[in-house]
Amino acid sequence: MDMEATPSRLSRPNATGSASPSGAALPFLALLLLGILFPLFGGGYWGVIATRACVYWVLVSGLNLVVGFGGQIAIGWVALLTLGAYTTSVLVAGNVTPALPPYLALAIAAVVGAIFGLIVGLPALRLRTFYFAITTLGFATIVTQVALAWQSVTGGGVGVAGPIFPEPFASQWGFYYFCFGLAAICTWMTANVAASRFGRALTAIRDAEVAAEASGIAKPALLATVFLFSGAVAAVAGGLFAALQSYITPDAFTLDLSILFFIAILIGGRGSILGPLLGTILLTVLPEFAAPLVAWSTFLYAVLLLVIVLVIPGGIAEILDFRNRRPLESDRAIIPRPELLEPLLNAPPNAGALTLERVDLSFGGVRAIDGLDLEIHPGQVHGLIGPNGSGKTTTLNVISGYYAQQRGAIRLNGAVLPPFVRHVRANMRIARTFQTPRIVGSASVLENVMIGGTIDGKGTFVESLLSLPRHRRDETMLRDTAMLALAAVGLERLAAVRADRLQHSELRFTEIARALMLRPAFLLLDEPAAGLSAEEIERLGALILAIARAGTGVLVVEHHPDLIFDICHRVTVLNLGRILAAGTPAEIRAHREVVNAYLGA
Amino acid sequence: MSTNLRVTRRQVLAGSAVSAAALASGFPAPAIANSDPIPVGYLPALTGPSSSTGVGINRGIQLAVQEINAAGGIGGRQLELITRDTQSDPTKAVNGAAELTHGQKVSVVFGPVNSGESLAVVPLLARANTPQIHPCWVDTLTDPKKYPMCFRNAPTNQQIGGAAHRYVVEVLKRKKVAVISDTTGYGTASVNAYVPMLKATGAEVVYQGNVDAANPDLKPELLRMQSAGAEAIMPWSVNAGFLSRIINTRGQMGWDVPIVGQTTLGSGQTKALLEKPEYWAKVYPNNFRPVCYAAGGKLSDRTSAFVDRLKSAKIDMGDTLLWWIALGYDSPRMIAEAMKNVGTEPEQIVGYLNKLKEFPGVYGDIAFTADKHDGYPDNEVVMVEANSLKDGAFNLAPGYGA
Amino acid sequence: MVESIVSTGLAVGCIYALIAITYNVMFSASRVFSFTAGTLGMIGGVLGSLFIARMGMPVAAGFLLALAGGAVLGIVTEIVAVRPVLKSLDQHLYVLSTLALALMIQQFTAIEWSTEPQPFPRLFDIASGFDQKFWLPMLACAAVIVGLELLYRRTLVGHAFLAIAEDNFAARALGLPERSLRMASFALAGAIGALAGFAGGEMLLAFFANAPMLTFYGFVPVALGGMGNNRGAVVAGLLLGLFQQAANFLVGGIFASVAVFTVFIIVLLARPEGLAGATLQRRV
Repeated sequence: MDMEATPSRLSRPNATGSASPSGAALPFLALLLLGILFPLFGGGYWGVIATRACVYWVLVSGLNLVVGFGGQIAIGWVALLTLGAYTTSVLVAGNVTPALPPYLALAIAAVVGAIFGLIVGLPALRLRTFYFAITTLGFATIVTQVALAWQSVTGGGVGVAGPIFPEPFASQWGFYYFCFGLAAICTWMTANVAASRFGRALTAIRDAEVAAEASGIAKPALLATVFLFSGAVAAVAGGLFAALQSYITPDAFTLDLSILFFIAILIGGRGSILGPLLGTILLTVLPEFAAPLVAWSTFLYAVLLLVIVLVIPGGIAEILDFRNRRPLESDRAIIPRPELLEPLLNAPPNAGALTLERVDLSFGGVRAIDGLDLEIHPGQVHGLIGPNGSGKTTTLNVISGYYAQQRGAIRLNGAVLPPFVRHVRANMRIARTFQTPRIVGSASVLENVMIGGTIDGKGTFVESLLSLPRHRRDETMLRDTAMLALAAVGLERLAAVRADRLQHSELRFTEIARALMLRPAFLLLDEPAAGLSAEEIERLGALILAIARAGTGVLVVEHHPDLIFDICHRVTVLNLGRILAAGTPAEIRAHREVVNAYLGA
Repeated sequence: MSTNLRVTRRQVLAGSAVSAAALASGFPAPAIANSDPIPVGYLPALTGPSSSTGVGINRGIQLAVQEINAAGGIGGRQLELITRDTQSDPTKAVNGAAELTHGQKVSVVFGPVNSGESLAVVPLLARANTPQIHPCWVDTLTDPKKYPMCFRNAPTNQQIGGAAHRYVVEVLKRKKVAVISDTTGYGTASVNAYVPMLKATGAEVVYQGNVDAANPDLKPELLRMQSAGAEAIMPWSVNAGFLSRIINTRGQMGWDVPIVGQTTLGSGQTKALLEKPEYWAKVYPNNFRPVCYAAGGKLSDRTSAFVDRLKSAKIDMGDTLLWWIALGYDSPRMIAEAMKNVGTEPEQIVGYLNKLKEFPGVYGDIAFTADKHDGYPDNEVVMVEANSLKDGAFNLAPGYGA
Repeated sequence: MVESIVSTGLAVGCIYALIAITYNVMFSASRVFSFTAGTLGMIGGVLGSLFIARMGMPVAAGFLLALAGGAVLGIVTEIVAVRPVLKSLDQHLYVLSTLALALMIQQFTAIEWSTEPQPFPRLFDIASGFDQKFWLPMLACAAVIVGLELLYRRTLVGHAFLAIAEDNFAARALGLPERSLRMASFALAGAIGALAGFAGGEMLLAFFANAPMLTFYGFVPVALGGMGNNRGAVVAGLLLGLFQQAANFLVGGIFASVAVFTVFIIVLLARPEGLAGATLQRRV
């Protein structure tokens, strides 16, 4: 159903990661054609089923961004369908206002749906997964209760007639085309979002939240936007649903319906548009073929959900992803090209120094950091070593804002870095990597790296929805920069590969490439050499040095003394949260206590 | 039972595949030979919540179709019942209605049997120009002007409530009434409709409330009724659990007040949930005179002949209500009579039904006019003694005379 | 009237508290909230009715078999829906797998048992002023609290449970059989859930739709009492029961559920960690 999304992609020389652009569009074009020609070979009965599939997809397409991309377990989305259905029907019937024309009523329903989408969704920002799932179920229940109770408006148990859209959409096929058109537009819009920095940011929130924060992605703003959109399209779907049903009563909005929407997405596969689209069609059509099993349909959906979760977590999309089943070369090597760093980092602005002044942090009674002073300068590599539990990673986490120090200050060029607002670090051009690589496994390597540049996009969510020029410029810019970053770390040949197929060492370099997308003034590396071969460590060292030469200040937490002494300009040794020694590598190597305690004989 | 008559889904699909193939190949469809079966659509709720009504009605329908076909069908053509289980779900009812009208091209549809489903299906069938007969009570479900092809062969909510109100006010002489329902669509709609009706009869509604059917304890509600001086409780719900809680609580309180209301008060399921059998005394559900025991415990001749047929067909009545089976039994017979007389075209069937006079049903005599598509006679809606339940039928409540 | 609201409120509150404890026992062993908690409660009622009323077993046998059935379902939950996804916890797959299992059990019960509420037998043939349908849930709740307290404080297995709940890795490092303990926890949780449904059977009847109802109302005390905190759960459960019955009475059925939900969400948004809980999460 998606045509418009492709031309913009076709013009790109680079692989997009999901599949070659024309290949990715093919199933959508086939469905579009099928949908347009459907009345020629589908009977009137199948017309109703097809219309229903379109209506459901309008809702699911929006919910897909919440569940499939954002990873938020919103089970009770039927609440928004109910709301949209009643808003449209009541406005058209004129129970509260003078009767409105159906299109206007549908538009108002979209606005109301957006607002309530935000209300239903916002607890996700504050509550953990299961809590949020339960609250959405609660919303689904109370919306029906309100519809029952508010009799003067909703007709209570007797319900209210659904809207009838004027010609040319009054006839059965006319209405089908209306719903089909909206479904196609929703497909196009959500596919645009999926292929935008917003879509990637959502998957990052889902699979690698800390990496999303480190890349400057503000979860509240992003999720709020998505809930607004998802609520709006769900309410539009509600209006269409009311018209299709011809009459709505509260008992039409069952929890089973909500579960159908939810499961359609998971069967389809998270982070895919085509999968959930096929899932929706499948779950709408399947019960029509299996009448003896109709009573068991919800049971079967549940079985399907369990099988998907346990056996093919990628859903239909994974089954259809033939490309990523081709074997990768086994003897591939990571050969960074440091000479590309210059154009990539483009001489980051001299941000002054990043300093820690007498920072204290304790957990319970344990002093994790005890009066730590640290100074990192642009263009220099600063090593942080020490035994396990000496406070190295904790120091990194204090700088990144995961912990708030109890005393002392962290300053960037003299200005205090506030604790906890982690995504703000990216705006200050402080980038980092993680001890365990935080990667979106289902996205391509290129897309993972593009996540790092999210804050450099200029276009708004709406511009991405509609694929307006600024969105396309953003995408071109991000893709080109990401390819450059991948080439710089030596992974450009794997750009289109799913990240979860990579080896451990490759993931480490992918994280560095992602961090470089920020053109960081300061780069914090948490054990970048862990799990790397000797050869790879050597190349990593050269890369880090080159990054520093390009003007970035680098803080490396490491266990490999050789790497530290080879590349660092200054080294700080921690023990039990205190500085044991600090100085040039040569000074440290000669420091008796350090040699005794840590480096060994 | 008569499962052999149930048209399986696969056959239905095979049929539609054939017709689709015929269409696709471009040949004109052959003229339908006169021996082809006549498709009759049927939208019961056989599974899902509140399906016991549908299951009961289904037994009667199957028997009637069997008998009609055994007796040679309609001019040599068999009636083919095409069933779509709606599962008490309006969305499935809409899909089913579309399949019956567009896919199967049925001549007439019976059902749905639940109001929530009918509300959605009635306008759709009207648009598809398909005659419809349904037994749902919601008043607005027939409207000869808006839906000229839709008929109701059962009472309306007005008739149901009217009979109960008359019984409370005129026979039992109670003036202070408590009206209670669950929080379903049916329950809330009933309370809202009946409270003004009751007041119009001169009764005083001292309590009205919608209570969550899952609420495990209704004692506070009954205490509230009691302290408001209620002299009769009128519950409107199809939820046996909810109704049994009302009856049980009244029993525990030792409160001597009649309970008058929904027919489910007398169902076997409600009975099974009673803490003590004697709590069922002074419970008067709605029922229908032709399927009730008159004084002396006898059914009318027509009905007892019907019960004999049920028994010889080995149809179980112990776990259902006779009126459900009777209603199901009458419906295809009424359709068959129309077809025998005027053929299978929609306009002909509607024309015939518009002039139907006293169709002799087991459930009641049905009559329609062009302006009145509610065919059930007022005076056949009665109240019965719940605890007289035997073989699915009841004794008339005291006060209905001999 | 107040007396009736209070006795029902407390009795229902005890059932909610027991379901909350079911959640907590599973959570302590696996860091997983399972959607099957309410389903276990529903199953306890259905099995009790099946064994005692329909099959005519003695009350004691029916009771033990119902608890055993709950324990088996608890173990099934662990094997089918929890163990396979524990490794990928950060993807929240457990929400989906336990939801799927809960739906399967619920739908199976609806179709094979009944979509209508079925009677639950009266367990004791005694007439007292304070009806057994009220005191049975209270007794069950008290027994579970005391039992768990004794288990955790006095037995070796109980100490092992606590160790697992405190720190999974450390417990494994100590050589505790983590997997067996987790299975045992789920069996225990299943039995507690079934006990909730069984003790509340006369009140809630043997009805498949009790599953989603208990899943929701049983989780409210978990959220408000602080996850893993059984004492908080019991207090919050009792308060919820009282509040719900009072709301039912004061504002009527339709608005009562709205009122409960509104309070729930407001409290939760104000204090996501619950009224009595505090959590620390290490994410990096």
